[in-house]
Amino acid sequence: MANGPSFPSAAGSSSACSEIRIANTMSELARVAELVDAFGADHKLPNSVIVALNVSLDEILNNIISYGYDDTGHHDIVVRLELGREKVEVVVEDDGKPFNPLEVAPPNLSDKSRAGGVGLHFVRNLTDELKYARRDGINQLRLMKKITE
Amino acid sequence: MKLVEGMSDDVTIVEAYGRLDSTTAKEFGDRLVSLVQSGRGAIVVDLKNIDYISSAGFRALLITKKASAEKQAKLALCGVIGEVKRLFEISAFTDEFLICPTQAEGIGKLRQ
Repeated sequence: MANGPSFPSAAGSSSACSEIRIANTMSELARVAELVDAFGADHKLPNSVIVALNVSLDEILNNIISYGYDDTGHHDIVVRLELGREKVEVVVEDDGKPFNPLEVAPPNLSDKSRAGGVGLHFVRNLTDELKYARRDGINQLRLMKKITE
Repeated sequence: MKLVEGMSDDVTIVEAYGRLDSTTAKEFGDRLVSLVQSGRGAIVVDLKNIDYISSAGFRALLITKKASAEKQAKLALCGVIGEVKRLFEISAFTDEFLICPTQAEGIGKLRQ
């Protein structure tokens, strides 16, 4: 995989790109959080950015694992972290049902009985850009987080 | 995620450490609800050492709140600082809980 011109070269141990492939079970999310923490430490990302990425990925992956599949079989989900110029890009790819999180209506935050619906609200608030594409049976969600304190 | 439990007279204190997310929220919520159901009448949950809370963690807190109301137990949160505070604000859950600045103030509040 070639790095684009905007990426620093993957010299040394701290690569500008980190990828993990997980199975569609909730316990796998711990591995993703560990990868995000390590990526954040390697690139000295502010804690607010690491938290934003961790919460967003927890929400996105929880959604995919909980609602993304019509069968009970094994599926792979790929998460890729890429360091850009003053930003981090995250790509999540799954082969579940077509699902565009950008089309989900925002929750009613004044509804006191709500127990859910907040997940995507977090993703929208904690990221700077969200893009969705469906290609060859794969959902691809790309989110971007600016690196600011 | 790790839970450290203590008592200050009749007030139960639960300090949570680490991440409150999809992988840990169930254990967290189950433990708090079981404390409520075993008759603990006042519980302070200290979130000072939590890295972050995702919606799964908030769901566990809401379930604990509901269980507390049913048992007429008192529940307070403290240590809602930094990124965790920001997540409470984004989700608009700040008004859903009795939030005290410190553990001592939470204990004091529940003793009233």
